[in-house]
Amino acid sequence: MELVLKGFGEVVKTVTFRVRRYDPEKKEMPKYMEYKVPVQRGMTVLDGVLYIKEHLDPSLAARYSCRMGICGSCAMIINGKERLACQTQILELNKDLIKVDPLGNYDTVKDLVPDLNKLFKNHESVKPYIVREEAEPYGEYIQLPEEREKYALFTECIMCGACLSACPTMATDDLYLGPQALAQAYRYIADSRDAGFNERLNLLDSKHGVWRCHFAGACSEVCPKGVDPALAIQLLRGVLSKNVFIKYKQNPAKLGPERASIKEVL
Amino acid sequence: MRESKIMLLQYLTGLFILVLGTFHMLLLSVLAPTSNKVLYQYASTNHTLIGGTLYYSTVTAIYHTLLWGSIFELLLTFLVFHIFNGFRIILSEQFPGAKAEKVITYSMLILGLVIFIWGSRTIVLMLLQGGI
Ligand code: SF4
Ligand code: FES
Repeated sequence: MELVLKGFGEVVKTVTFRVRRYDPEKKEMPKYMEYKVPVQRGMTVLDGVLYIKEHLDPSLAARYSCRMGICGSCAMIINGKERLACQTQILELNKDLIKVDPLGNYDTVKDLVPDLNKLFKNHESVKPYIVREEAEPYGEYIQLPEEREKYALFTECIMCGACLSACPTMATDDLYLGPQALAQAYRYIADSRDAGFNERLNLLDSKHGVWRCHFAGACSEVCPKGVDPALAIQLLRGVLSKNVFIKYKQNPAKLGPERASIKEVL
Repeated sequence: MRESKIMLLQYLTGLFILVLGTFHMLLLSVLAPTSNKVLYQYASTNHTLIGGTLYYSTVTAIYHTLLWGSIFELLLTFLVFHIFNGFRIILSEQFPGAKAEKVITYSMLILGLVIFIWGSRTIVLMLLQGGI
């Protein structure tokens, strides 16, 4: 008998979930497995995945936390496009087959759980915080609303990692900083309180930084928060072009994807 | 050189190639040195080629002028930079890493120089009316 979950509407139809299964600890190739999920009104893809986990196959691994599009943990590729599983209504997809893959351009921890280390390391490397010249803050740093507007859009990032998964440069260049880190670098550079431009320059202006974006725009297309990293990258190009005659020593980038070496480079 | 400078040069050379390349192409039509602007002109009695924009001596005559010689030399310079820097970018995306970066950069530099010298030799020889 079909299980009906509490808190959702009536069962509308049964949908097949085709889920990519892969466990790097087992020496097996990735494979797709199919599960029949009764879809009730209001169910998201994450609910579908959890239904499978609870009632059909407890070995399926997925990552989630807030279930309301805030934490960014549940990003996955759903029917070929990066989306937050908790924000994707199954019925809105209007398909009888739902293909679920983990985010691309990352290693896989297990099944639908990508290893987001690359995302976090790249993010960390661009110094995602306000850099000041004085050692101790001296009080309140005033900022006008117009000054905040310059970077407000880019503060929306929830670090879901979807943009890196969609980015074609990321697929070929292991050392590329990626749309998320570049957008965050711009967010701080554009902040009137920040004085860290020179400290970030070496990394941004490296052979695997700002200039490697081919402006495919896939990052902006998939970003669930409308951050528009592609725009941030073009704005960064403008900033770098205006400062093209600043002299500094540029070290070659180290082989990635681990960016622990970035500290040395900076 | 800083990546920003290289990339700005990449964009600028792209733009110049578009402008100079247009002139290069216009040489076949509106700027053609021949009176009737046809590519090939044949004798009225038989099929002997006697003139036209692509006639060997018409082409070499263009190279004999300093203005066109300089335009071609500039076009060559921009093309060599744009093409080999483009290759450098593509290859360093495919093979990231400090060592690979060096190998790629120097190989492209050497290849670019060889092509540039070879192309310049052709242009200079033509300009000096010696032909190739
Ligand atoms: S920029 Fe958008 S897609 Fe990229 S990590 Fe942030 S929220 Fe996710
Ligand atoms: S579970 Fe937090 S964004 Fe989906």
